Amino acid sequence: MTCDVKVKDRVGTINPIFTCQPAGAQFASIGIKDCIGIVHGGQGCVMFVRLLISQHLKESFEIASSSVHEDGAVFGACGRVEEGIDVLLARYPDIRVIPIITTCSTEVIGDDVDGVVTKLEEGLLKEKYAGREVHLLAIHTPSFVGSMVTGYDVAVRDFVRKFAKKGEPSDKINLITGWVNPGDVKELKHLLAEMDIEATVLFEIESFDSPMMPDGSAVSHGNTTIEDLVDTANAKATIALNRYEGGKAAEYLEKTFDIPTIIGPTPIGIRNTDSFLHTLKAITGQPIPQSLVRERGVALDALTDLTHMFLADKKVAIYGNPDLVIGLAEFCLDLEMKPVLLLLGDDNAAYVDDPRIKALRDNVDYGMEIITNADFWELENRIKNEGLELDLILGHSKGRFISIDYDIPMVRVGFPTYDRAGMYRHPVVGYGGAIWLVEQMANALFADMEHKKNKEWILNVW
Amino acid sequence: MPYHEFECSKVIPERKQHAVIKGAGEDLTSCLPKGYLNTIPGSISERGCAYCGAKHVIGTPMKDVIHISHGPVGCTYDTWQTKRYISDNNNFQLKYTFATDVKEKHIVFGAEKVLKQNIIEAFKAFPEIKRMTIYQTCATALIGDDIEAIAQEVMDEMPDVDIFVCNSPGFAGPSQSGGHHKINIAWLNQKVGTLEPKITSDYVINYVGEYNIQGDQEVMLDFFKRMGIQVLSTFTGNSSYDDLRGMHRAHLNVLECARSAEYLCDELRARYGIPRLDIDGFGFEALGNSLKKIGLFFGIEDRAQAIIDEETAKWKPQLDWYKERLQGKRVCLWPGGSKLWHWAHAIQAEMGVKVISVYTKFGHQGDMEKGISRCGEGALAIDDPNELEGQEALRMLKPDVIFTGKRPGEVAKKMRVPYLNAHAYHNGPYKGFEGWVRFARDIYNAIYSPIYQLSGVDISKDEIATDKGFVTRRMLSDAGLSDEIKSLPTLTEYTGKYDCVTDLRGRTYPDFERKTAATAAE
Repeated sequence: MTCDVKVKDRVGTINPIFTCQPAGAQFASIGIKDCIGIVHGGQGCVMFVRLLISQHLKESFEIASSSVHEDGAVFGACGRVEEGIDVLLARYPDIRVIPIITTCSTEVIGDDVDGVVTKLEEGLLKEKYAGREVHLLAIHTPSFVGSMVTGYDVAVRDFVRKFAKKGEPSDKINLITGWVNPGDVKELKHLLAEMDIEATVLFEIESFDSPMMPDGSAVSHGNTTIEDLVDTANAKATIALNRYEGGKAAEYLEKTFDIPTIIGPTPIGIRNTDSFLHTLKAITGQPIPQSLVRERGVALDALTDLTHMFLADKKVAIYGNPDLVIGLAEFCLDLEMKPVLLLLGDDNAAYVDDPRIKALRDNVDYGMEIITNADFWELENRIKNEGLELDLILGHSKGRFISIDYDIPMVRVGFPTYDRAGMYRHPVVGYGGAIWLVEQMANALFADMEHKKNKEWILNVW
Repeated sequence: MPYHEFECSKVIPERKQHAVIKGAGEDLTSCLPKGYLNTIPGSISERGCAYCGAKHVIGTPMKDVIHISHGPVGCTYDTWQTKRYISDNNNFQLKYTFATDVKEKHIVFGAEKVLKQNIIEAFKAFPEIKRMTIYQTCATALIGDDIEAIAQEVMDEMPDVDIFVCNSPGFAGPSQSGGHHKINIAWLNQKVGTLEPKITSDYVINYVGEYNIQGDQEVMLDFFKRMGIQVLSTFTGNSSYDDLRGMHRAHLNVLECARSAEYLCDELRARYGIPRLDIDGFGFEALGNSLKKIGLFFGIEDRAQAIIDEETAKWKPQLDWYKERLQGKRVCLWPGGSKLWHWAHAIQAEMGVKVISVYTKFGHQGDMEKGISRCGEGALAIDDPNELEGQEALRMLKPDVIFTGKRPGEVAKKMRVPYLNAHAYHNGPYKGFEGWVRFARDIYNAIYSPIYQLSGVDISKDEIATDKGFVTRRMLSDAGLSDEIKSLPTLTEYTGKYDCVTDLRGRTYPDFERKTAATAAE
C-alpha cells in the first residue's frame, strides 16, 4: 500500500472543484486598494464571480464588466473596454488602478487588450484624465487554460510586474499569502507582529471581515496599495506561502530584482508553522519570542487532547486548492489521521513533482490516492460505487451534497464556504489555525457520533 | 418626461432615460424608462449573461436531466448551487452539474470529439438518467462546434437517450433575458410534439414560467390538482423533460412569469392554437382571481371558489396580523425581472407596505409599464441599475426594507437597510395563500429585527438605554398599535411549519368524474 498520483481518466467534469482563471484574477484584484477590475467578456463572468465571492465573504465589492454582446463577439470588442474604463474613471474618482481581465470569449476572438492599454495611456488618460494617477494593465486569463488557482497566480504576478520598481532598499519582507481568508491574514500579521517584523502583505484582505457602522458608511475593499506593490522590489526577501498562488510573483521578484525568495511550505499545522517562523528568523535575524513558544504550547495542548483518543486512523478525503490540500494532509498525518484521497481540481503538470507530494509518496504506508484534474465525481463515485469508507471530508461548500447524501461529517475549509457561518473569519494557518482546525474536526466527529449513535457515550468522561 | 438623473451618472448621459420618478398625475405615456438596451460597459451593472438566462434560470430546473455545459468549467461551476429551485426527485438537478472542460487544445482543434466523450461518460455515470440538455457557451459558440450534429450522432447510437441542445452563448443579448428567449424557442422547435402525453382529465394545462423556487410550483400544483386539472408539464420548475415534450396537448397555457416564458406561450398559441392565460400566484387577491380565471375557462369556477374560501379562511387572519404591523413601511422592490409587477400592487394592498422604488435588471419596457402602473406617486423606477445608482437611491429613499439579490443585499446591510432575497426568498415558498403569509412574516422579521435598532447606535457618543437586556420584535412593532388591534383575538402570527412543501408530495386528490368516455380514451 502506497501513495499513488493519478490524473482523472475521464475527459469531462462532473461537479467541478474549481472555477476558471478569470475568477482567480478577480479575487486577487479585490485585494488592492483603489482598484476596480474590468473583466473583458460576457457579463456572467463577473456577475456570478461577484456572487460567489460575496457568498463566501458575506460582503460586497466592485468588479466591472466590459459587457460584451453579440456585436462585440463578432466584430471585436476592444471598444467596449475603452468605453468601460472611461466610465469607471469618470464615476469612481478614487480609482488608481484598473486591471483588464480577459476571459475565454475575448481571448478566442483575439482582442488586443495590451494594445488597448497603450492606446488609452497615450490617448484617454492624457487627454481626459491628465494629472490623475491611473494605471492600466492587461491580465490574460483565458478560461480554457489552468483554473482559478492559476488565474490568481497569474494576476498576482502581473500586478507585481506592473508596479515593482527598484528604489531604496527596505527592511520589509514581502509576504505573498496566496488565496486565503481574512482570518488567515489576521493570524499571519499576528505572527509577524510577535516577531517584530514589518512585511508587505500581498494581498491584504483582512478588512473584508468588515463592520456594520452606525453611520452606514462601511465598505469592503483590500488594503494593499500601489506603493506597497512598487516597494516589493526593495524588500529584504520574499516569502510566498503557497507555491501555486503567488509563487510566480515571488519568482519574478527573485529573477528581476535578485530578492532572496522562499516559496512555502504553507504554514498549516504545527510543523509548517514552525518552518515559517524559522524562515522568518533566518531572513530577518529576529528571534522567535517566548510568546510564540507559549502559543505553540497552547496549540499542542489542544492537539494532544484530541489526537490519540479521537483522531487516530480516521480516514479523510481532502479537496480544494493544492497548497491547502497538501498542507491539510500533512497536518492530518501529524494528528495520526489517514488522508486517503486528495483531490486537486486542475491539470497542473507540476503537482506530481511537488516535493511535498514526493514526500507523501516516499513515506505514506497505507493506501493514499492523489488525483489531479479531479472533479467531485472522483470522490462520490468511490464512495457510491467503489466502497470507499471515510470518517471525514475536508473541503469547500461546493461538495456539500456528498457529505449530506452519504452522511459523512465534513469540515468546511478553503474557498468558498458559503454554507457555514463565518468560516472566512477563522485562520487555518499558524498555531491559531491549527487549534481551529483540530477542534473543528473533532467537533464534527463528535456531532457525527451522536447523530449516528456510534459510541456517543464515550464523551461522557472526556 | 420626469426622468430622474442620478448624481453619480451625470457623466454617462445615456443613463438619464433609464430612471423615472412617477409624479403627480403622471401616466405611462410620460414616465416609462428605456429598457433592455445594451449595457454600458464599466457601469457595474447587475446583469448576467444569456447563457445563465438559458441554463441557470430556465434549463436547470428540469429535474431528470443531465445538464451539461459545453465549454470551460467556469460557466458550470459559477452557476451551480446558487439557486433554490428544488425538485421532488431528491434535487438531482441542484446536485449535479456537468462541464465538458474545454481546454486550449480544443479551442485550437475543435471540441466536438471531447463533447461526444463527455456525453457518453455522463450517461454512464448516471445510468438511470436518460435525458440531457447541452448548453453552448461563449467559447464553443465562437469556435463553431456543431453541437446538434454530435447530439444527433449520440441519439442514433444510444436509442434510449434524448438530448436537447440550447445555443445561447453568454454574449447573445444585453442580459440574461436573451437566453430566456433562446431556450424558449429552442425547446419548442426541438422537443414540443415529440412525445404524446397521457390525458387523464377534461381540463389540461401547461403551467409556464414557474421555476419552483423553494417549492412555489408544488404549492400551485396542489391547487390545480384540487381543482381536478391535469398539469401536463411545468415550464420548467420540478418538471420532467418528457412531460415538457407533450406540451402541445394542453387545452390552456397558464403563464406565470411572462418575462421569461411568454415567447413559448405565444408560439404554442400560434402553432397549436393553445390559448394563453396570464396568472399570478403571489397575493390573495391576484391568486384568487387567477384560480377563478382558470376555473372560468374550464367551467369549474365552483372548484376554484371552494379552494379560495378554504385557504382564505385559514390564512387571511394571519396575513392581517402582519398587515396591521407593516402599515406604511416603505420598500425598495428591486428584483430581476417580473416580480416588480407581480409584487408591487399586491404587497401594498394586502400588507400595507408602500413600494417607493422598483427596478429591473433584465426586464423589458413592458415589465416597467406594468410595474410603474402598480406603484403609487413618487415611486422611483430604474432600468438596469448599477452599483452607484443603487447606493444613491438607498441614501435618498431610506427604505425600511429592500427586496433584492444576495450580493446587493450585502450593500444594503452596510447601509443598515434590512434585506430579503427577492430571487431565492428568505423562508419561502412565497406563492400560494400560506406562502404569501410567509412573505409577510419574513418582511416583518426583517423590519422589526432588534439588530437594526442596535446598529444605528454609536456607543461612543449616543445616549443608550441601560435598563434593557433585550427588545423583541413585538415590542417594536406593537409600540404604535392601538389596544383594540393588539387585542384582536382573530388575528394571529404565522402558524405553519418551517417546511410547508414536503408534506404536499404525499397528498391524495379527489377523483373527479370525467364528462365523456370518448375524452377519457383520448
